[in-house]
Amino acid sequence: MTTETRTTGFWGDAWRRYRRRPLAVAAAAFVGGLVLVAILSPAIAGTKPVLCRYKGRIYAPCLAYFARDLEPAIFARDRFRGTYPRNLVEKDPESWAVWPLVFQDPYRSVRADEWPGLPANPARDEGRPSRRNLFGTDQAGVDVFAKMVHGTTIALLVGFVSMGIAGTIGVAVGAVGGYFGGWIDMLTSRITEIVMCIPTLVLILAVIAVIEKPTIWHTMAIIGATGWTGIARLTRGEFLRLKESEFVLAARAAGAGPARIMLRHILPNALAPVLVPITFGIASAVLLESSLSFLGFGPPPPTASWGSILNDARSNLAMWWLVVFPGIAIFLTVLAYNLIGEALQESTDPRLREARK
Amino acid sequence: MATYLARRAIFGVLTLVVITCFVYGLARNMPGTPLTVQLGETDPSRRFNPEDLERMKRIYGLDRPWPVGYAQWLANVVRGDLGRSISRKQPVATLIAERIGPTFLVSGTALVVAWLAAIPLGLYASARSGRPDERLSSLVLYVLYSFPTFVAALFLQIIFAVWLRGTAWELPLFGMSDVPPDAPSLVRIGDVARHMILPVTCQTYVSLAYDSRFVRANLEEAVRQDYIRTARAKGAGPWRVLFRHAFRNTLIPLVTLLGLSLPGLLGGSVIIEQIFTWPGMGRLFFESIRERDYPTIMGLTLMFSVLTLAGQLLADILYCAVDPRVSVE
Repeated sequence: MTTETRTTGFWGDAWRRYRRRPLAVAAAAFVGGLVLVAILSPAIAGTKPVLCRYKGRIYAPCLAYFARDLEPAIFARDRFRGTYPRNLVEKDPESWAVWPLVFQDPYRSVRADEWPGLPANPARDEGRPSRRNLFGTDQAGVDVFAKMVHGTTIALLVGFVSMGIAGTIGVAVGAVGGYFGGWIDMLTSRITEIVMCIPTLVLILAVIAVIEKPTIWHTMAIIGATGWTGIARLTRGEFLRLKESEFVLAARAAGAGPARIMLRHILPNALAPVLVPITFGIASAVLLESSLSFLGFGPPPPTASWGSILNDARSNLAMWWLVVFPGIAIFLTVLAYNLIGEALQESTDPRLREARK
Repeated sequence: MATYLARRAIFGVLTLVVITCFVYGLARNMPGTPLTVQLGETDPSRRFNPEDLERMKRIYGLDRPWPVGYAQWLANVVRGDLGRSISRKQPVATLIAERIGPTFLVSGTALVVAWLAAIPLGLYASARSGRPDERLSSLVLYVLYSFPTFVAALFLQIIFAVWLRGTAWELPLFGMSDVPPDAPSLVRIGDVARHMILPVTCQTYVSLAYDSRFVRANLEEAVRQDYIRTARAKGAGPWRVLFRHAFRNTLIPLVTLLGLSLPGLLGGSVIIEQIFTWPGMGRLFFESIRERDYPTIMGLTLMFSVLTLAGQLLADILYCAVDPRVSVE
């Protein structure tokens, strides 16, 4: 009775348990690292300066890698045509620039002497990994390291956007079905079962074929629109269980409407078990996107996705570096999300918690 | 039991109608038709002239709107006719019959190998739970579980077909057989077996990792039950407790999982069959989407959906069969 007992909330408690698992912490750090790489991608690899002073003003041409319109118009007017190093010096001897760590472009091959003294990228099957091209180059001479750094954004977005969609649909469908019961539950359960029965890849391939110009956003939307069934079933189960509990009765007695009870009272209590399938869903969304790109159903060519690099490798397997680097990146990402999901499950599930005391 | 089955059957048929209607609508709305996609892409001079195209469209019933086409397809299916493939000029049923054997060969072998290895692995993992050797093997299995199949397939292809080319370990990259069909049957079997090694390995390792984790999770759940404590108290040895008392009670979820793996058994894996150009169902589906071959797409969708529904039903019925406490009602 000497120490005062400090009570921690449910999430604080879960975080304490999560931290005890070194692999899960490493996995979370890995995903954090991917986010950093994605945000900093133009500063890691690119051919446009991160910051430069040109004709008296400071610009950040590297933002063009996020959206083409962000490239300052002055460089198009002065006919830079994407080649900065030479043009900057020639057109304004006073200029200075901060360059990305690696001078390589994810969308095109670097030409000879584009950077003073730097030779052209090797093309066809000669682009083994070297000091200049860390992960080698593909058939067209494009640097694989730059492609992968810029593909990180896609790998992250695919997981979060598609599971954001799937989570919203799944929680909504499951919550409505579980809370109201009766014929509504019957209807939502049937719909869930029907969507479950359609083979996912079949549906996705068919929908992508229907869209005239599929972009990566379409792929994410489709993965999200088909991947919600597991989440819906779990949410339904949680709502069925929780709607009988006393705090719901108390809320109802206090005059709360169904929407308020579902969102403010039941959902926060059902969130932990629902987060687990969402995390595993992120892993499978990443996997699905890369296998679609691998099958040639990915985003159109200039967009760099890890799976599409693998697709390039199929025509010449002797170029092992086109398989090993993106393959390991996809693998590590999927592994990280799976580890996070499992740790979440074990640190938030009270049954498992008691068993592992 | 009969009413239960009847209810499930009615819902099943309704589900099938919704799914096939949806997929038919999707397929008919893909850009291009089987008549234009296939010929136009290979050689512009071989495109049909407009009158011929209209005539062909009429013959295949593509000039009418898709709901009419769907009704026609449904009516034929009810009479037991899956239609004829437009791009392959063969009945869809024949195509499926041709492709189902190779798919079953790979996925059946993979399933048997995976379960034969997964059960001992799961038993071992829960018997030595928490010890360093178990931790290591569980970690390896976990890593395998997260390893994407297509990446593994490419790695295996590079190792066995590129790096080991010319050695005794070289394995074929593509297809199912290289020897002529009139070769002695032993040679042919050996050749197919050599072609099978890589696709079977790819399909086995993921399910092995998943299944053994599943076996282990269920065993750990069973080990916490009261009857295990009773068995231990009566003096049963650790292995006897594990086998006779705990494992037998984990058979229930295993049986369910087995039922749910039915569609994969005959449906095949699109990606693996595509990588290894294995002439199976998954590849047929992929090709039929690219060729806009509506009858084949529909025949395969119907088959996949029937298998999924049958697998779920089978799992539920088996569940009742092995667990007398559960009744289908």
